[in-house]
Amino acid sequence: MKKSEISRRRFIEYTGAAGMGIGLSSVLPQISLAKTGIKVASGAANPLGLASNTQAEGVFFSGGFGHAYIEYAAEIFGEVHPGSSMSVEGIQRVGERLRPRIIAGNPPDVIDNSGAGNLDTGALVGEGELMDLGPLMSATALDTPGKTFGETLFPGSQNSGLFDGVQRYVNIAFTVFGVWHSKSLFDEKGWNYPTTWDGMLSLCDTIKTSGIAPWTYQGKYPQYMLFGLLEPIVSKIGGPQIWKDVDNLVPSAWEHPAMLQALNMMKALHDNGYIMEGTPGLTHTESQAEWLQNKAAFIPCGTWLENEMRSITPGGFNMVIKPVPSDDASRLSWIDASSGEPFMVFSNGKNPVAGMEFLRCLLSKESAKWFAQNVGSIMPVVGGAEGVDLSSAMTSALAAVDNAGPNILDRPSFPGWYSDIYSEVKDSMGALLTGRASAEEFIERVQGASDDVREDEDIVKFKRT
Amino acid sequence: MRRNKYGIILPFLAPALILYSLFVIYPYSQAMYVAFTKWKGLRKSPRFVGLDNFEKMLGDDKFWNALSNNLIYLFVLPIVTLGFALFMAFMISQKVRFNNFYRVTYFFPQVMSVVAIGILWSFVYHPTIGIFSSLLKAVGIKNPPVWLGDPDTALWSIVAVTVWQSAGFFMVIFMAGMLSIPKSLYEAAALDGAGRGATFFRITFPLLWENTRSSLVFITVIAMDMFGITFTMTQGGPDRSTDVLATLLYEHAFLHSRFGYATSIAMVYFIIVIVLTLLIFRVTRRETIEF
Repeated sequence: MKKSEISRRRFIEYTGAAGMGIGLSSVLPQISLAKTGIKVASGAANPLGLASNTQAEGVFFSGGFGHAYIEYAAEIFGEVHPGSSMSVEGIQRVGERLRPRIIAGNPPDVIDNSGAGNLDTGALVGEGELMDLGPLMSATALDTPGKTFGETLFPGSQNSGLFDGVQRYVNIAFTVFGVWHSKSLFDEKGWNYPTTWDGMLSLCDTIKTSGIAPWTYQGKYPQYMLFGLLEPIVSKIGGPQIWKDVDNLVPSAWEHPAMLQALNMMKALHDNGYIMEGTPGLTHTESQAEWLQNKAAFIPCGTWLENEMRSITPGGFNMVIKPVPSDDASRLSWIDASSGEPFMVFSNGKNPVAGMEFLRCLLSKESAKWFAQNVGSIMPVVGGAEGVDLSSAMTSALAAVDNAGPNILDRPSFPGWYSDIYSEVKDSMGALLTGRASAEEFIERVQGASDDVREDEDIVKFKRT
Repeated sequence: MRRNKYGIILPFLAPALILYSLFVIYPYSQAMYVAFTKWKGLRKSPRFVGLDNFEKMLGDDKFWNALSNNLIYLFVLPIVTLGFALFMAFMISQKVRFNNFYRVTYFFPQVMSVVAIGILWSFVYHPTIGIFSSLLKAVGIKNPPVWLGDPDTALWSIVAVTVWQSAGFFMVIFMAGMLSIPKSLYEAAALDGAGRGATFFRITFPLLWENTRSSLVFITVIAMDMFGITFTMTQGGPDRSTDVLATLLYEHAFLHSRFGYATSIAMVYFIIVIVLTLLIFRVTRRETIEF
């Protein structure tokens, strides 16, 4: 597995979830600003050389996280740079809204390219639209003395933004992916989370007899089963090289035996009738709502689930996330975790420096704490959850990462790099889970899409190691 | 005299012509150029590639799949929708009670936005709280179809919504045609002892020919489009079973950044609609019956 640099003890230290501070901070002088209370480290006010009185423009996806946290970061920006400002506009369907401006050569300075209908990142990078964020990564951190900006972020959390070694965007939300259940329901029924896939299937049998459907997934969006199940199971069975080969478009990468085994394990959920009736006709929020009513016991998702369903979650539901079991009980704790919600700066925007400076404010410790407190998720910022009360969901996610120790699984990059393969995975996954395709057919279809991408010289290719 | 006439007409036509050229003809011709290029829809200009996009289309299974779904709509929708509309128009024009109520009710879906209809019907088809599944479960059917989640039923579920949405519109067109048929013809037929069926097939339907022709063109355009309802209800899924040319080209342009290829699909789609329209007018041409 990828030996992630986040070790067991260091993770607690990183997030500060156990209430530990980072010792170094008191040594160096700091300037404390009044409004947001941010303590700017000495010599960290303007390492990127932002010109005074810069009025910059930001346009951001406003989804599950809202955009109040971005407004808070803009407040920090304004306070650190009196006279300058960053405007904040929250939008949906980023691609449709911003494409005309990109074509016209008049993009905003900084954007959050997330959500449905976002811009194709591979194309943006391939066409040279995005700024090299190298200077930002090596700039002094805003409120963590003695560190560069890059050093204050969780190790590995920005890997997906590396294209041929160049940082093209930064992820601002740290997400854990896995299988969710209601702790209250399981306690009431006396069910224990299984340690192997065979254990999962026999628990499913018990659950089914009790009149509850064992599984559901985000029906019309079957790709949730890619990051929820297929990715971690394949890594647990076959090691980290498989997804790297998939990303690098290695011929026959999808035909690896571990892929076949994992797909057949997943297909067993359908073949045994463990998937809730009607699941394929539901949207993501509809299926999650069914799950919240205990119509199904398990659902795959990332840690945004809690915030997304907050308004309709019954009291005392106690949702918790667990890593997916595989063939080997000793690998149960291995879990998928990565950072998402990519923020980008345009290379031909009016104020690319302001865009980068804003990201330095957004991923400051002060902003990360505000995010943890008010949005209930965490930023990949060291010490960003210090002294913050976290929910049962977030606590279980942090515990899962902690249990995984060095075994944080590496996630594939092909969904962002090659949208054609991702589309095919989505379609084939739906077919597999409704019994319309076998595991072999899934592999044949997706390998075909991968081969097409490799042979299509118009698609810009990326490499990773 | 002749010169004078044009001198008067031109200034009146000019504003409309200029606006039309600027906002319709110019973008269309630009789009036609894009169809012969590769373009990612970003700052870099399109690169001319000749007929490459069209060549690729011939070997693209997804294109043929989408086109064949359009063709299913093209065969089913005119027959069902127009048949239904004709039937309703005929029944309502028989001076039934609450005739105005029916007319308004049947026409109502036409004034609703497509997105609202898509969302509304997604609830109707909802597997657990939807009215269809609940009714079927109530009468003892244990596992009712997952309407929009099953490739076997999704397309037909959308057909039903489209019929529901558009039949009212065609009903009104047919009713207008029926109103203009002179009463004397019906009286004469009644005197000769013609029943309702004979009256309909011998008098009403033939005299509605002009309305039928234009309705056919309208429904053809609807069947070739289908974007709004598909996008809000299934986005072409599950597993591309409801993909049509319009959703496929949207996917290529906005998901895969292939604006050139998407535009070439749009062009093929444009040509098909034009050809079908001309064909319908040619095939259905008859001598207009004066009355």
